[in-house]
Amino acid sequence: MAKEMTLSGCAATAQAVKLAKVDVICSYPIRPYTAAMMELAKMVAEGELDAEFIHGEGEHAQLSVVYGASAAGARTFTGSSGVGVTYAMEVYSPISGARLPVQMMIADRALDPPGDFGSEHTDAMSCRDQGWLMGWAESPQEAFDNHLINYRIGEDRRVMLPQFVCQDGYFVSHIPGKVLVPDQAQVDEFLPAYDPGSHVLDPKKPMSHGPQIRPDQGTIMDLQRAQAFLDLPAVVKQAVGDFNRIFERNYAPFVEEFMTDGAEIVFFLMGGHAATARHAVRHLREQGVKAGMVKLRFVRPFPTKEVGEVLSKFKAVGVVETSTSYGGSMRGGNLLPEVRAALYDAPTRPLTTSFMAGLGGDVVSLKDFYWMAGILTAAVQAGKVGKTVYWTGLEKA
Amino acid sequence: MFDIPQERAVPFGCATPAPVGEQPMMITGNWREYRPVIDHEKCNLCMNCVVFCPDACWQLDEAEEEVVWNAKYCKGCLVCVTECSHDALGKAYELDFPDGVVRLEKPF
Amino acid sequence: MAHVHEITIWTRGVVKDKEGRDVANGLARAADREGKFTQAFDNYVDLPDRVNVPLRKYARISDADIEMKYDYENEKPEVVVVVDATIVKGIDVLRGVERGGLLVVNTDRAPKEILKFIPNGSALKAIACVDASRIAGSSTVDFSGTEGGVDAVGLGSGIAAPLLGAVARTTGLVKLESLAAVVKNKRALQQGYESVVIEALS
Repeated sequence: MAKEMTLSGCAATAQAVKLAKVDVICSYPIRPYTAAMMELAKMVAEGELDAEFIHGEGEHAQLSVVYGASAAGARTFTGSSGVGVTYAMEVYSPISGARLPVQMMIADRALDPPGDFGSEHTDAMSCRDQGWLMGWAESPQEAFDNHLINYRIGEDRRVMLPQFVCQDGYFVSHIPGKVLVPDQAQVDEFLPAYDPGSHVLDPKKPMSHGPQIRPDQGTIMDLQRAQAFLDLPAVVKQAVGDFNRIFERNYAPFVEEFMTDGAEIVFFLMGGHAATARHAVRHLREQGVKAGMVKLRFVRPFPTKEVGEVLSKFKAVGVVETSTSYGGSMRGGNLLPEVRAALYDAPTRPLTTSFMAGLGGDVVSLKDFYWMAGILTAAVQAGKVGKTVYWTGLEKA
Repeated sequence: MFDIPQERAVPFGCATPAPVGEQPMMITGNWREYRPVIDHEKCNLCMNCVVFCPDACWQLDEAEEEVVWNAKYCKGCLVCVTECSHDALGKAYELDFPDGVVRLEKPF
Repeated sequence: MAHVHEITIWTRGVVKDKEGRDVANGLARAADREGKFTQAFDNYVDLPDRVNVPLRKYARISDADIEMKYDYENEKPEVVVVVDATIVKGIDVLRGVERGGLLVVNTDRAPKEILKFIPNGSALKAIACVDASRIAGSSTVDFSGTEGGVDAVGLGSGIAAPLLGAVARTTGLVKLESLAAVVKNKRALQQGYESVVIEALS
């Protein structure tokens, strides 16, 4: 029987990791993800979770430890935030290239300089080309659910890829919400025991990991991973379908539509600010504005087909950017270029623009969403966007 | 191009001038529950309080030949009271005094 | 959007951090039992705490879903709870309080004594003083539940219990029975409720 608990995102993550019966955890403290490790340490100490709990000497060590453990066939868990995520950068590609389904929780945090504990997606997004799955949760409930879904997808033999399971620092990681926590039997039904197959280290069957290859083999190495990403969407759909059935949830696998029936303008975003956006859309509709919201659940693999199909229904799309891409093609964030690429071949294309919002942990308020809606409405009337990047709250009136 | 509200402004490269003498952006007198009180008669200027204070809130006034307490920044840790070699320092509840604390809007 | 009751709790870092959290969590858990929508959380930028630094905890109670969940602070508190009385001297605890606010202070001093340190007391409808430290006997120092963790030691073993009783009596925002169901030291809770001195201000 599922029980309802009031949990922060960090505590929800710990509950999910416990129910996933991980074998090896490697910790290193950094705000705001730390409480997840605090909770797991308590569970291990009190015998609620039978796992090796190793304290790394830094985030690079964390990833190296779980790399080794996963290479020996263990189900692993680690996590970080902000500059901790970028400190471990070296190890991400080896893990994904070795096809080891390590899971890393990222409670995102603005990168230095200087010290800012607030949420910003740039830390994780900086690693989006490393060959890991990546997606954000909107709430502690979704964070809990995403951890289980990602183990299932990542460990699938057709996939065998590591996963960044992300949540907004503070907004989701610290602010408690209601979480339905299922019992072990339900989780066992959804998530089978980890069976790594034959490429892991085993004294009975000696394997070498990471030998040197020639340059002409390099492309083949990359192609292996690229192929896995092509096979991935089918596995995601299957896993989310099973999850919804077993736990009575209603997740779209890739792209969630909220009040999009008859919508002319939509906000396109991922992560915690979707919770505020929903209220904003409801209020806008009450004012007669045909607004809607489209939430992205996985940014890697980017659901190009779904995004193109869904967004081409609308007149204008406002991409809410909570990460930065300095010098990128749009001179703003990371999502607008991907959205425009997804729409390039669509038979009808909406107007698209982007709103830098929530950077550094800034709150994105209902008023901010109304302001964005005003810009989108004006763009529809004019038949074109004013500019491609707006800095919310800082534009000259 | 942009309207940056003054209270949100950040200096270039986030490099800020370092405080000299005191840090007016972090006035910590309101951390106190108790304050140290000195009996100058008993004090022999051993300088323990000056040396031990983590926030340099006891200073020697050479002209007056007394140690002087900094009410603005003293956090009330009472290490000076513990380290005083001549029982010259005791503690008193902060609300027994009408002033001596800079009143702030927020912790810092 | 339904009205959101904002309660701001001022406490001191490390030594009374758990107590402040217990007050916020106690109010939210009690209001949950009454079918309300609630939030209870630390002020994010006041942490990590250092010993004795003044810092804030927040509780929010509403009859409907709270839409601005992510606001970092309570901009318009109706109730301010001060876990350590000396804080009123060095912090403008009534900042943002509009007319008719309520102040609850843990102190053995009379309301008049405390008001001497509050120049903007005219915003208040009433001030309440309760000697929570004496009633509880000791305060709980524990990091359990900090920074989004789960509180493993239970709430209301220390001075938060009588303070919560005093808040219930002064504000009527939650019922005493609801608090009794979530607080460990029910005797102290009851005593706080009974012994709080509430002084109305004209």
